[in-house]
Amino acid sequence: MARISLRNVCLDYPLYGAYDFSLKRRLLGRLAGQSGPTRTIRAIDSISIEACAGARIGLAGPNGSGKSTLLRLIAGVYPATSGHIEITGNVMPLLGLNAGANLDFVAADNISLLLRISGRKPTRAIVDEIWTFTELDERMQRLPLRMFSSGMLMRVLFATATAFPADILLLDEWLSVVDENFSAKAEQRLLKLVSQAAIVIIASHDQELLRRTCTSIINLDRGRVVNTASLEAHSSHSFELREKRA
Amino acid sequence: MIPAKQSARRLSVLHIFKVYYPDLFGGTLSVIRDICAGLKDIYAASVLVCSKFGGQRRIVVNDVAVERVRSFGDVLSLPAAPTYPLRLWRRIAEHDLLALHAPFPLADLVFALGLGRSRPLVVHWHADIVSHATLRRFVEPLMRRTLRRAEAIIVSDAVLIENTPLLREFANKCHAVPFGVDVSKYDRPDRVNARGRLVLACGRLVPYKGFDVLVRAAVGRNFEVWIVGEGREHERLEQLIKELGVKDRVRLLGSLPDSERARLMCIADVFAMPSVTNAETFGLVQLEAMAAGRPIVNTSLDTAVPRVARHGMEAVTVPPGDSEQLGEAIDSLIADPERRCHMGEAARHRAMTKYSTDAFGKGIEIIYREAAAATAPTARVSRAAAIGWLPAIQIAAALAWSDMRHRYVRSLLGPFWMSIQMAIMVAVLGSVIGHFSNASAVARLPMLALSLTAWTFLNSVVLDATTALQNSASLIKDRALPPVIFLLQCVFRQGLFALHNACVPLILWLVLAPKEFGGAVVALPGLAVFIVCTLGLSLVLGAMATRFRDLKPIIESSLTLAFLSSPIIWSPEMINQASSVMRLNPLTHLFAIWREPLATGHIAMPSVTYVLAGLSVLAVASVVTIARLRKAAFWI
Repeated sequence: MARISLRNVCLDYPLYGAYDFSLKRRLLGRLAGQSGPTRTIRAIDSISIEACAGARIGLAGPNGSGKSTLLRLIAGVYPATSGHIEITGNVMPLLGLNAGANLDFVAADNISLLLRISGRKPTRAIVDEIWTFTELDERMQRLPLRMFSSGMLMRVLFATATAFPADILLLDEWLSVVDENFSAKAEQRLLKLVSQAAIVIIASHDQELLRRTCTSIINLDRGRVVNTASLEAHSSHSFELREKRA
Repeated sequence: MIPAKQSARRLSVLHIFKVYYPDLFGGTLSVIRDICAGLKDIYAASVLVCSKFGGQRRIVVNDVAVERVRSFGDVLSLPAAPTYPLRLWRRIAEHDLLALHAPFPLADLVFALGLGRSRPLVVHWHADIVSHATLRRFVEPLMRRTLRRAEAIIVSDAVLIENTPLLREFANKCHAVPFGVDVSKYDRPDRVNARGRLVLACGRLVPYKGFDVLVRAAVGRNFEVWIVGEGREHERLEQLIKELGVKDRVRLLGSLPDSERARLMCIADVFAMPSVTNAETFGLVQLEAMAAGRPIVNTSLDTAVPRVARHGMEAVTVPPGDSEQLGEAIDSLIADPERRCHMGEAARHRAMTKYSTDAFGKGIEIIYREAAAATAPTARVSRAAAIGWLPAIQIAAALAWSDMRHRYVRSLLGPFWMSIQMAIMVAVLGSVIGHFSNASAVARLPMLALSLTAWTFLNSVVLDATTALQNSASLIKDRALPPVIFLLQCVFRQGLFALHNACVPLILWLVLAPKEFGGAVVALPGLAVFIVCTLGLSLVLGAMATRFRDLKPIIESSLTLAFLSSPIIWSPEMINQASSVMRLNPLTHLFAIWREPLATGHIAMPSVTYVLAGLSVLAVASVVTIARLRKAAFWI
């Protein structure tokens, strides 16, 4: 059963300036007795989220409001500074736009490699099935990814990432570059994933997209939750979301 | 009180200290014992300590599970128990809360390295390190790191926070919880002794307790002094008593059971606490004497000592180390039974009202509860923990394999281009070396080729590792893969390339000197160690070079220097083996452990020892690095 539970989670993001990457400077600074602590910025400020299977949560907010950082925190990329995080279920994070694709490799190899990374054994049949979903030309399978446009790349990566059911799917600015046709298809697939007891969290600036795909929208600003809008009527799926301001 | 039979499991607390019953008795130990006993309905307590006396590893003392780590005696008042940090690290995960009884640098070592972050830590600050100033200078950064990581710091009196610079830095998480004493233990009928001149002192016989001052104070006076306790100063005090000729009035009673000590407290006329340094932070024994209704003579330390028993009310306070004034103060009390009685009553009242065991237990319980609730980043935070070791290795192997395949996609020969390059290098070097060495150059070619293959492996793994994390930033930050995978990937990838390169020495060997395989089999363990060392180096240097970008050029030039100063292209007979550069250079030995068996069939024992020692250091560094890599996403 997929479940995300964040209680008063804070993240202090260390700000490494050019000098903070220098060991020599650090050692000299220590000898001179002027080793100040690293400057940090509170990227996530006591956020509490509870989400159970079936929830589709949209994260909205201006640039630098902590959307991506929150997704990375849930994915386990950044360790939290304080607070309590409990995540049940396997997480499938698709955050940056290339999300680990190697642009030099041909598309089929990338699909195989990405499947291996998520612990699946790639077979010819699975790769072909994924390729069918992308609706791209069969021959393009053998082309390096650097030849692909960003929308085409996104199709390949999305199809690969959602080929197998994941418990928790984290998407950052993902469905905004693909065309409407594929977008509708992707939404269908997301709904199908959610119906298989999954949690989907999407961060986007596209309010329309969030309203179409999500059951609730959390607005963030400067690392804090501003408000939570529930779009209950849209969905018939079971869904629970609580938000506590600390 | 109804015993708490809650359905919830009792939280388990690990008390971390250097020593516990039955190896020693003392104030700190009785505090730990009281905490364990007082909170036993809520917390299941375990104790991890060192022990000089071997014996059973796990024992149970007063319902508390005590695990003892073998120590080889004391060095600078610290137990020499090299395995303690390791054992502590392994135990941390089994408990919900850690209670460190400071000062204990062996445990600070574990926390300072950033291990055991997953569990909340409470520090009971019993005393500063006062007697070993040099040691303290080295240990202070460790203590600071421990305190920084702690959820809460508990001291026995607020004055300690003011007077300890290290604690002032963390004043906002310090809590003053005064120790408690069970007054009912001292309700005894035999509250008098006939002579009316008995002075009692209790404590381990260690220098800071100032018992020598007390012995001197007895010179030329009338009172009797009984000192309860054992310790390394025993001989010296015995000697002093003899020299000063006070043998008839001053007695060292050795250590006594608690009940006997309580009886003595009740019959004594004055209780003396002559401690001379701030290592005495509270003086639990003086509180016990107060509970027994005794007037106190204590010293004006910067700690809680003169605040527990206050001058003119429950005690007469004299300057520490001043035997003349100490003697005078005791004499004045002995001479005035009425004042003694008066002070004793006041002392008992204060012990009962201000220092009850209930208040102590409650205070600790609240702090423990808050610490356990406001837990540090807990449970499963990093995906590195979620992805097990086996899948991580599989992913690293898959990535390395695809890297190698990609080489073949770009060119037909793939990595064999590099092998050809190396074959040329072997040929050139072989002919050059043949010119200034009289030995047969051709016979040495296979070994030269093999050494170069091994060196190329080590060199490229380390160089690769310095940029690996930055190159895989997308997979780390966007796919949440544990960073360690990409350092493993370097080793696997270069391992695959090295297998390609190994064709050169293999062909040379088959053509030039196809001898018996015995040497090769003996060399295998050495080769395995070589690879493990390379792996360790790639982890440690790869992580450090990512955190500190200026390390990369330093590593590059060091590798070139290491190549020239190691017997890789030079064969053993060409160089002076005894030169200190060669002997101290770890690479010499790292190569010797597999080259010697291969060339001569014998294992070079000194080299093996040297390498294994280096490997254990590398292993510790690797463990620390892997813990540190949790933060790698911030660096790239």
